[in-house]
Amino acid sequence: MSRESILSAIKKNKPEQVSLPEIDLGIFHEDVDLVETFSKNLESVGGRIVSFNRIEDLDAEIKKRYPNAKHIVSCSSESNLATMSISNETEPHSLECIDLVIIDAQVGVSENGAVWISDNDFIVRVLPFITNDLVLILSKKDICLHMHEAYNIISKRYRTFGLFLSGPSKTADIEQCLVIGAQGAVSLTVFLI
Amino acid sequence: MSHAKEAELFNNDEAKVNWHDQALWFVRNKRDKAAHTVKGWEELRNLASAIKANVLSNLDEYLVEFEENAQKNGIHIHWATDAEEHNKIVHNILLKNNAKKVVKSKSMLTEECHLNPYLEVNGIEVIDTDLGERIVQLAKEPPSHIVLPAIHKTKEEVDVLFQKHLGTIPSEGNPQYLTSEARKHLRNKFLKADAAITGVNFAVAETGGIVVCTNEGNADMGVHLAKIHIASMGIEKIIPKEKHLGIFLRLLARSATGQPITTYSSHFNKPSEGKEMHIIIVDNGRTEQLGREHFRSSLNCIRCGACMNTCPIYRRSGGHSYKATIPGPIGSILSPGTDLKKHSSLPFASTLCGSCSDVCPVKINIHEQLYQWRQIITKDVKQPIVKKTVLKMTGRVLGNSKLYGFFGKSARFMLKHLPKSVINSQTNTWGKARDLPKVENDNFEDWYKKRKS
Repeated sequence: MSRESILSAIKKNKPEQVSLPEIDLGIFHEDVDLVETFSKNLESVGGRIVSFNRIEDLDAEIKKRYPNAKHIVSCSSESNLATMSISNETEPHSLECIDLVIIDAQVGVSENGAVWISDNDFIVRVLPFITNDLVLILSKKDICLHMHEAYNIISKRYRTFGLFLSGPSKTADIEQCLVIGAQGAVSLTVFLI
Repeated sequence: MSHAKEAELFNNDEAKVNWHDQALWFVRNKRDKAAHTVKGWEELRNLASAIKANVLSNLDEYLVEFEENAQKNGIHIHWATDAEEHNKIVHNILLKNNAKKVVKSKSMLTEECHLNPYLEVNGIEVIDTDLGERIVQLAKEPPSHIVLPAIHKTKEEVDVLFQKHLGTIPSEGNPQYLTSEARKHLRNKFLKADAAITGVNFAVAETGGIVVCTNEGNADMGVHLAKIHIASMGIEKIIPKEKHLGIFLRLLARSATGQPITTYSSHFNKPSEGKEMHIIIVDNGRTEQLGREHFRSSLNCIRCGACMNTCPIYRRSGGHSYKATIPGPIGSILSPGTDLKKHSSLPFASTLCGSCSDVCPVKINIHEQLYQWRQIITKDVKQPIVKKTVLKMTGRVLGNSKLYGFFGKSARFMLKHLPKSVINSQTNTWGKARDLPKVENDNFEDWYKKRKS
């Protein structure tokens, strides 16, 4: 009933047909160092960048930054630091005590330091939010210029749940003072290889 | 009470007003800085505006397309013509699932529908999980800004509030401490919640998915822990294609807070195994606004709050003075559409300086629409007798050069010779907090004539 009445009210009241604009992406093109810009932007939103060259060094690099992490979930085949394993049967509430989560990221966006991850990469949806600290592993060659490119890259995915993540959770709701660590992860480190 | 009267109350505490004014101006400056670093920023605004115009002209088709695609992914779609129907739908979903505890992330629509009190009366606990919203919820106040809900509160006030409700120790308003205590408090609520309610920033017709943007991660914490996700959206949240998100997400956070993007931009396309996802599509006066030629583009608003941060009136009168769900310039266009009489003073809460239109990421001609509402309101709503008479007299004087010359001369004479107590008397509202300008000897006309000869 309501569906029909809303749709017919729209039909009656909507303006004359306006066509969709053509989008010329050339306008937004810039010749920038993608890795450098990405790193700068991620740091400006409170994230950390660790650049390294040999994938074998990954675990040592992570351990150096998070020496006290006890309960670790790794969704990356490159890391062997996991102290517990998860599957799609895992009850999300049981992840409450996780200290550190390690996830492979698919795309980095240089203009805003955001990284695209989807539940293919982390299996249990609450994982990157409920963990205390979050580590993402991103290949330098997967950094693109801007959001238009990023959406183009992810356009062929099977759509379930995914997000652009830019930095650790934060709030400035008390007198505009920026506080890192609101309801989601309190830190984010992107390991660039 | 009119906006002006409410603003007067806010201005009783001058120090606080100054802080409020400057804090928001600071955010406006951050917006400028962020905008200026983006190559093609103005083109982004043009595209966003054009896409939204296309959306309005095809809104019914896009909604149907969205519904079909969402349903294919196992999402339940509901339609609500008004606030009451929306609230009933939410309540029924909760009843069916025996859900008693609800966590909610920011959603101006549920605020507009007064969902919280409705659910509370029905024995359901609703916790707002955005920190700013939790603060105003504990204070039993509405948000005063759509992006910064507790911008009107000092940290000391938050301290006292948290002591009372969360059992914190006095900290002289230490934001770090108070935020970490809120984090613990809210974690507990997330873990116990049966259902999560979120708003919708964008709904994509092409994919049937929705995008929800937060900085705190509260929407995701709620949704991914609870069994049921209910998302409420106004009919105008639709965009045609996923690639258009590239345009809107580049604009939204930069316009709102000067961040390059929100921390979390979550794309929900399909519920996880064993969970339910519902989307409620709400009209509540929007189709009516769609039919108003001069005002329909107000539906293009993406709720960034930039027009509030830049508005000289909003910054000095505070969000509560508008007595409307959406305060500030954009709210002053939207609210009269829902109740012209109640909100008749809002379009006058503007200097018509146009700064709101300049910063609007979807290029809504906000100040022109405020002017348009004034034309309607002065005809349809009874105006104060003083204002009416004064404007009538002014009209006559300005339309007659002899009268204008005479009144100009007398005004200059009086300003020069009468004591301040008379000039700034009760009837001169300008003189309440300011002096009138100093009078020079000649008016422009005299000066011009002299110059010629």
